[in-house]
Amino acid sequence: MVTLLHKLKIWFAVSVVWTMKGKLAEAIRGFQATEADGVWHLHRGLQRIRDPRHRAILFAHSLEEEAHAEEFAHAYQHYGEHAMKPAPYERADLYGDEEPIWKTFAYVHVGERDATHRFKLIRDTLEQGRLKESLRRIVSDEEGHVDLTHRMLVEMGASDRAIRAEVRKVRWSRLWHGWLRAGKQVVDKLATLLLSVTYFVIGPFLFVAARRRLRSRYVEFDNCRLKKLSE
Amino acid sequence: MNVLGVSYGYHDASACLVVDGRVVAASAEERFTRQKHDSNFPTYAIEYVLDAGSLSPADLDQVVFHEDPHVKFARVLTTVLAPFPTSRLEFVNSLKSWLGKKLWSLNQLSSRLDVEPDKIGYLSHHFSHAVQAFMGSGFRESAILIVDAVGDWSSSALYRGEWKDGKPVVRRLVEIAFPNSLGLVYSAFTAFLGFTPNDSECSTMALGGFGKPVYADKVREIVRALDDGTYEVDQSYFNFTNFYKGAFTRRFVEAFGAPRDFREPLPFSCYGEGPKEVTADAQRFADVAASVQRVLEERILALATELHARAPSKNLCFAGGVSLNCVANYQLLTRSPFANVFIPPDPGDGGTSVGVALYASALAGACDPDAMPYTPYVGAQFDEADDVRMLDHLDPAHVLRYLKRGLDKPSGGASWKHRTFDDRAQLSAAVAERLMSGHIVGWYQGRAELGPRALGNRSILIRPDDVRLAARLSRSVKDRAPFRPYAFSITAKDAPLVIELSAAQLRMNRWMQYAVPVAPAHAPKLAAAMHVDGTTRVQVAYEDENPAYHALLAAFGERFGLGAVLNTSFNASGYPIVSTPAEALSMFARTDMDALVLNRTLVWKE
Repeated sequence: MVTLLHKLKIWFAVSVVWTMKGKLAEAIRGFQATEADGVWHLHRGLQRIRDPRHRAILFAHSLEEEAHAEEFAHAYQHYGEHAMKPAPYERADLYGDEEPIWKTFAYVHVGERDATHRFKLIRDTLEQGRLKESLRRIVSDEEGHVDLTHRMLVEMGASDRAIRAEVRKVRWSRLWHGWLRAGKQVVDKLATLLLSVTYFVIGPFLFVAARRRLRSRYVEFDNCRLKKLSE
Repeated sequence: MNVLGVSYGYHDASACLVVDGRVVAASAEERFTRQKHDSNFPTYAIEYVLDAGSLSPADLDQVVFHEDPHVKFARVLTTVLAPFPTSRLEFVNSLKSWLGKKLWSLNQLSSRLDVEPDKIGYLSHHFSHAVQAFMGSGFRESAILIVDAVGDWSSSALYRGEWKDGKPVVRRLVEIAFPNSLGLVYSAFTAFLGFTPNDSECSTMALGGFGKPVYADKVREIVRALDDGTYEVDQSYFNFTNFYKGAFTRRFVEAFGAPRDFREPLPFSCYGEGPKEVTADAQRFADVAASVQRVLEERILALATELHARAPSKNLCFAGGVSLNCVANYQLLTRSPFANVFIPPDPGDGGTSVGVALYASALAGACDPDAMPYTPYVGAQFDEADDVRMLDHLDPAHVLRYLKRGLDKPSGGASWKHRTFDDRAQLSAAVAERLMSGHIVGWYQGRAELGPRALGNRSILIRPDDVRLAARLSRSVKDRAPFRPYAFSITAKDAPLVIELSAAQLRMNRWMQYAVPVAPAHAPKLAAAMHVDGTTRVQVAYEDENPAYHALLAAFGERFGLGAVLNTSFNASGYPIVSTPAEALSMFARTDMDALVLNRTLVWKE
């Protein structure tokens, strides 16, 4: 049921949403950002791991993700209307320094699994084209990553039971964040509606003054001093 | 007295820690997040600067923000209401972002750092730039010119600064109001030329070198000079207040022709590869770039002349995003009424965190005016030992699978070797030999530079006379358009041989901020690092500022006959300059770099 819903969602995105102007390019920009974010998390992990063998595995993994980010950036070139500007996400570590590093891999592992599943569905739904080509290359790597991250989890000393528990926790956390995102989208739509109404209510009274203000050639007031928030 | 300066919210978020009037550490957030021009709250930059000072937020006496959020909000509101009824989208999206976040930047600083609100201070944006430019200049008094896109209400501003009783006094002379903005005009032209505004203005500047300013009169009409030395922008050509409509209007297109598609290749090259067929459109784009560049220079010179009349001084401090335009900066250096021109190492928004922290510190009496100047080498540093140990466990075949697009195999070879040097002189000699042999060498040393220029600590180097090698560097390492020229670094001893500037002016060239002409006699030796117009951005390297890099230049000079190397920033297109050794290795792995120096370890492909 969940898979069917997921398939339907992907089909809707590919067949309806992405046919609208700029939407496909925007989606590819999002994929690029996700891959770049993955590279960043792997490099953050590298700063905490000392074992040279583990570092080498992680580093090689980051090269792959970087190649994927580049692949998507290249695909964007094909579909975008302007040169790509990276998505301005606020980066944040998945876990604090006090948590064992393997937990990060549990997160990455779940992320890789979901991404592989999603990319596969998109690849299979898409007509021939530049993005489909890119996804063909990327999906086979991502499948390898799912195994690799699991292997890393085991190598870093996490027990099977701990891994299962953490993966479950990650899944719940991702679901929760998905729910929050959905809630945020609803609030966003409401805010759009409210602010649109505000615009048409206050706009007619203020736009003349605003235009007059923008005609000023110089800034009249002197704001050259150190001010305090508590003032 | 511990002061944290912070800038974020538009682009180039950064943090700086000043302890007892000295810059301890400063960095852009992008160096930690790998997102170029990252504008988000500088969590990691703050973490870094506090670590560098061995402080926690509780130890801070003051936290200073680089703009006045209330004034800025008033400007944004005015801007989105003025085009009523066609600006609903701008109104809705701006207000969502402002009411949801930006208006509360100061409170956010207080809560995220867990610092009491009475420790949070702020300066207006252009005033932040003004103190940023003045505080580090070492001048006892100076005229100050700020030219930016927009900050709070202003786009350009003139100030006068001086030290009085051990404290800085910076007075406003005139502030030109948004939307009359030279920075925004230049960005709009950048968008017209198919480059990314607020990022690729350097491409517009570089393209201008291939054109003639045949549209200059038209641009002069649009950015009209006024009798008082200032300017006025004809808004009918731009959408500065209705930005979802695009940066420029239909009238703009009628004046300059159709805009360039960003995918359309430009047939210009700095590497003497011989002219490809230049279409009429390509030449038009170059001519438009040359025209806006010319007028920008004229307007900046006029502002400087006016400033000199209002605040006579032999010193000028210049900052704001437009002061990254090194071609215009050279005009200021040589044609303005000022004898000395100081541009801070990071004159854009990223550097304002330094200015505000120094200023607050100085107001509290914690600064010695003579000890204010700081170097750009205040960024993060990392040890490479763990990364070097990792190298022996890497599978070269795996690495080869993930080379950057378009690169079949690395020229240097598939396997990696490394050697750590105890003796710096030996390391310099080994690298100099490699450079002489035509290798592309990544040079990663010590603390990262503050600002967008790589100044010998996060640099990629090649010999400066090999134009084919420069073309390879652009194609297979940097992903850089061939019309964009490279810069070079040269020892202070050899600089007077190739650059015709006074000793004082040469000293001002230590951070690559001016496009200066190269003496024709030396042009062949520096051909790979010059623009087609015979100019280059030069870094005059002094031993006291960066001894390790200076030693390398000197070692190379012994072999090459001139202590100069082509120096470009250690980053791939679209990414910030690398921060950690692992990031440097990553670029080394995926691109056609031949060797990499990580502090004292040389890694090479074989």
